Amino acid sequence: MKKVIEVKNLTKEYKKLKAVDDLSFDVVGGEILGLLGPNGSGKSTTINCLLSLLNYQSGSIKIFGKEATPDAYDIKRQIGVVFQDVAVFEELTVYDNINYFCGLYIKDKETRKKYIEEAIELVGLEEFKKFYPKELSGGLLRRLNIACGIAHKPKLIFLDEPTVAVDPQSRNNILDGIKKLRDNGATIVYTTHYMEEVEILCDRVIILDAGKVIASGTIDELKSLAKIEEKVSVEVLDLDEEYIEKVRKLKNVELVSYNKPILLVTYKKGKNNLVELMEHLKKEKISYNKIFSERPTLNDVFLELTGKGLRD
Amino acid sequence: MFFHNFKYTFKVLFKNKMLIFWTFAFPIILGTFFNMAFSDIENSEKLDIIPIAIVSNESFESNPFLKETFRYLSDEDSETQLFSTKYTNEEEAKSLLEEGDISGYLLVEDTSKVVVSTNGINETIFKSVVDEVNQNSQLIGAIAKENIEKELKNNPSINPEAIYKNAIELVQKEKANIKNISSSNLSYTMIEFYTLIAMACLYGGILGTVAINQSLANMSSTGKRVSVSPTKKRNIIFSSVLAGYLTQLIGLVLLFLYTIFVLKVDYGTHFPEIVVLSLLGSLAGLSLGIVVACLIKSNEDLKVGIMISVTMLGCFLSGMMGITMKYIVDKNIPIVNKINPVNMITDGFYSLYYYDTFDRFYGNIIGLFLFSTLCISISIWSIRRQKYDSI
Repeated sequence: MKKVIEVKNLTKEYKKLKAVDDLSFDVVGGEILGLLGPNGSGKSTTINCLLSLLNYQSGSIKIFGKEATPDAYDIKRQIGVVFQDVAVFEELTVYDNINYFCGLYIKDKETRKKYIEEAIELVGLEEFKKFYPKELSGGLLRRLNIACGIAHKPKLIFLDEPTVAVDPQSRNNILDGIKKLRDNGATIVYTTHYMEEVEILCDRVIILDAGKVIASGTIDELKSLAKIEEKVSVEVLDLDEEYIEKVRKLKNVELVSYNKPILLVTYKKGKNNLVELMEHLKKEKISYNKIFSERPTLNDVFLELTGKGLRD
Repeated sequence: MFFHNFKYTFKVLFKNKMLIFWTFAFPIILGTFFNMAFSDIENSEKLDIIPIAIVSNESFESNPFLKETFRYLSDEDSETQLFSTKYTNEEEAKSLLEEGDISGYLLVEDTSKVVVSTNGINETIFKSVVDEVNQNSQLIGAIAKENIEKELKNNPSINPEAIYKNAIELVQKEKANIKNISSSNLSYTMIEFYTLIAMACLYGGILGTVAINQSLANMSSTGKRVSVSPTKKRNIIFSSVLAGYLTQLIGLVLLFLYTIFVLKVDYGTHFPEIVVLSLLGSLAGLSLGIVVACLIKSNEDLKVGIMISVTMLGCFLSGMMGITMKYIVDKNIPIVNKINPVNMITDGFYSLYYYDTFDRFYGNIIGLFLFSTLCISISIWSIRRQKYDSI
């Protein structure tokens, strides 16, 4: 596939802080690239550099094969951006907001009208065209924010945490909309903190920390980086420390924790761990309500790679 | 794109309740209050006649400038009476001052000396009139001397007294200036309405602030979205500012219509000049708003707060809350009102109302133009960058 974005050795410093440190990555046409990282890892700074909003100290950025500069209007015309902050005018209706931002890209009124209607339909705001932003709920506002960024049918879309603070219904609607955009041929760069969204949406993921790529690949490739192989959860009403210690000594066990009533056993590797644990429980005459096994999630990988220490 | 942005910026500004309040409603409400407050007291609300004494010695009697000026300003039958003057000797003048019967007395010897016991408004006005006359007399004296010498070269039989008389006539013309400084015949209502118009012009700056804020990536989220679009920054900025200017002019037209037709304010006969002054005053206000938006890296509310505060301070210094403040500033720190756009606008109106010549008016017009040019130049310099170090 053709490269839509080529970033080479990008470095951006804020005074003494390196927000982006010698970052290189590519985005190929038609994919959804997830940009993950804890707060302050350089995701938004990277996007702002790509959009030619921020100066950077070194490196190069090419979009659609051309150098990205503030006056590269032919490139800008093909880009849509949904910022983390809702960027709409309180004084304009839903329709007028979309019309205004779309009008900065599309001159022809008839084409614009068609595009606006399609954007409104995509985000499900048909009944709210005449509403003002202050009359919309958080979820609807986020949907409007998306419509304003994508109404002009861009080929490359940056979505910077578009689902922050929205209810599950709105999130579902937004994620469906993003899939449709990809199906229609758009290339998408998606940043979020919600791992389940990444698992649902992204073809490829880059994990950033301290402005550097610490891992990249498909979801499965990233999961294979995990040091753990299997997690088994058991619902047990009461357990004593003696038994927990016994479980710790079982084969392949990496970690054991008991947050009443869930006993969580993490295994480094191996097969049939679930069966072995069930047998052990039976042998020790410990009754349990339910037991299940799961593979490591992207969240496990993320925490493993970026650490569990608090950020911000 | 230019018209598209212009249209929507105009719509955004026009629908912003806070902006409409400050630029449209507030001046009209304030004008209504002025009208209610001053209409009844207009006739009686002139400055008190200031009691003074003049030591009537030989030096005073031989100084036609001072003599004529104080005769004119002490004329009880004149509307322009400013002083109630007693001509007396030095001892009696001292005694009158000690007893508080007069604000001060004038003693003319080698120089003119104003003796006062306190420093109030009356005393300051008294001193300023004497200073003004002395300055003019020196000027006229120099002109007269030069003319006499010149004429004597060509015509040895010329009458120096006639030339001197001509010079005195020049002093008479300057009385208008003295009248103005003393404010004895300024209408309080007119002063307030001039300042009100000036305030409305300056409040237009809020529109400039908001229009710019919404267009720059480092100022607002909408600015970020606009900045990533394929539209030239100068088109966005220029069309936004133009929309702000149009909104401001609409507000100003409404204020003029309201004050002329509802409050029956008479702005005089120089309508084209008033329009020019208002257009330039609005431009100065808008420019000030733009420069505030460009230079201050903060949220919009703070910037608007700064604009309102700066405007109110400008109004205060140019006499909105009391004409004596304008006088005090003019006299003691004239540079402040020279660079105060509110004062340039109000002074432009005064000059149209009180003077037959346009020199002072043009001075204010040029001042406003320079002020606007400076503000816009600083703004262009500060937003010339296409990219930012941080946003």
